[in-house]
Amino acid sequence: MSEKVEKFESKIKSTSTARANKRMSWLLLAPVLIFFAMMNILPTIWMLGLSFYNYTLTSANGATYAGLSNYFDFVKNEQLSQSVSRTFLFLIIAIICQTFLGILIGVLFWKNDKMPGKRLALTLLFTPMVVTPIATALFWKLILDPTFGVMNYFLTSLGLSKVDFLTSSSLAFPTLIVVDTWMWTPFMALMTLAALGSVPKAELEAASVDKLPIYRQVTTVIWPHAKFILMLGILLRSIDAFKTMDLTYIMTNGGPGDRTELIALSLYRFAFKSFKLGYASAVSVFLLFIAIALTAIYLHVLNARKKAEAQA
Amino acid sequence: MSTTTVMKPSRRKGPISFLTILGWFTAILFFLPIAWIISTALKPKNTVLDIPPKFVFMPTFQNLVDAVSFSNTLQYFVHSAIYSFTSVFLAIFVAFLASYSFSRFKPAGTDFLMFLLLSTRFVPAAAFVIPFFQLFNVLKLKDSFLGLIIFYTMFSIPFSVWILKGFMDGVSTKFDETGMVYGASRWHIMFKVVLPQVRSGLVAAFVFNIIFVWNEFLFNFQLGGLKTYGIPVGLFTSITKGGQVDWSFVASIGTLYVMPLALVIFFFQKYLLVGLTFGTVRGEV
Repeated sequence: MSEKVEKFESKIKSTSTARANKRMSWLLLAPVLIFFAMMNILPTIWMLGLSFYNYTLTSANGATYAGLSNYFDFVKNEQLSQSVSRTFLFLIIAIICQTFLGILIGVLFWKNDKMPGKRLALTLLFTPMVVTPIATALFWKLILDPTFGVMNYFLTSLGLSKVDFLTSSSLAFPTLIVVDTWMWTPFMALMTLAALGSVPKAELEAASVDKLPIYRQVTTVIWPHAKFILMLGILLRSIDAFKTMDLTYIMTNGGPGDRTELIALSLYRFAFKSFKLGYASAVSVFLLFIAIALTAIYLHVLNARKKAEAQA
Repeated sequence: MSTTTVMKPSRRKGPISFLTILGWFTAILFFLPIAWIISTALKPKNTVLDIPPKFVFMPTFQNLVDAVSFSNTLQYFVHSAIYSFTSVFLAIFVAFLASYSFSRFKPAGTDFLMFLLLSTRFVPAAAFVIPFFQLFNVLKLKDSFLGLIIFYTMFSIPFSVWILKGFMDGVSTKFDETGMVYGASRWHIMFKVVLPQVRSGLVAAFVFNIIFVWNEFLFNFQLGGLKTYGIPVGLFTSITKGGQVDWSFVASIGTLYVMPLALVIFFFQKYLLVGLTFGTVRGEV
């Protein structure tokens, strides 16, 4: 009898602690949820709503309901679809360059673990990627200036003719890729170092004891571990490349013509130069979907890594 | 995470290896553009645009002094510092509570919320500028410190939650259970038991959020005004000072802006990886 009572009491106790825990968990989450609702969900709903309206800030008429016409315009607009494909081209070329160079540099520093002054050297290497793109753009504008830039000084002293990198229609886009590569190769080098660091030391030693040829070491020992972090690095770079705006805004302002206009800059222009807010919102919704897709892929790779680690 | 400080392997004596030279060469090559800006800032004003460029000169600090004393340069730096410290502090406090909840109680929808939080950081900033612009107009928050601090707090939360949850998942729940058995309150466990064990996560979250806020341009530019601009806007407007571009001035502001960042990279290098991957990749480089 008394046993039953005890059981009953402990049951009550456990449900009441469960309830208390639940209350606690939401209490702890509340501030973040409030911030999130106010500053993310509300603007997103606003953006979604606005995308169905014809709303130009400068016109005297208020907003008029436009149904899906903003989205149709968006699909039809050749300038915009060009800017989307240009963004993808930029992203693919830049990331291939950065990954390739990044792996080389990463391996170089990994191989030379006890390099004198490594910390200082890595500081020099890593600083470009934390500099705000506004500053990067300004710095390169000075360096690449056609009349007094130091780059053109080197070109002329090599007997080459002066080049206007940022306003030449054939060079502006490649220059943008070079600057982006300068900025982000160190990041891929960092990810390479992390990826190589995730390979268990014991396996590496075993491989070298067995005298595995280097390509076999890479394919059978290093790659199965390193691929995840490398993949995450490439994904993070893709996301960032997709967001590129400040850099082009200052360096070329999308020019010459629209040679360097990437999607984020087009969007900015629709909103703050021509004030077509409804239309710009439709573009934003499109970018939001891409961001959600990229997040899903990113988390997928992250989970795959967790699973692989749990198995090992 | 602290193996490097414990035992430093003795450096190999003898000639410097080829790999070392190559490594240093690469590092310097990547730093050259920044070094050029710093050297431009230190050059006497009248020699900045000389062709051929001066590679050897007597450094002067006059440009830096001029830049700081020019109109509101100093204010830009102060504003950026205010946003960085206040909003990151707020964000990390609320993110700490939330990530404890996510990590320990796993309320329904945890994965989905984490997903949403991360995705907000993956959207191009320009996509959210319009709704924020209008929201701030309606709420009369434009060009106000309060508005920008709220914005930057929001801006710092997703990253902080991700990073702190990652670290907290690594702390065994045994600590919590033991604490409960001894009758400690949840608050005590959270702040006295768990917090000290996620210190690295807190440092990484602090340092990198501060860098992100310090570097943020677009929202500061659109939601702020003359009263509230920060240093990236200061850099942006520095090219439009006067008729001709004053490159000494631009380079000086650029130098003052970039030096703290380089120092942060030097002193917090081991947090760099965690900081740039939202805490999803951990380890030491």
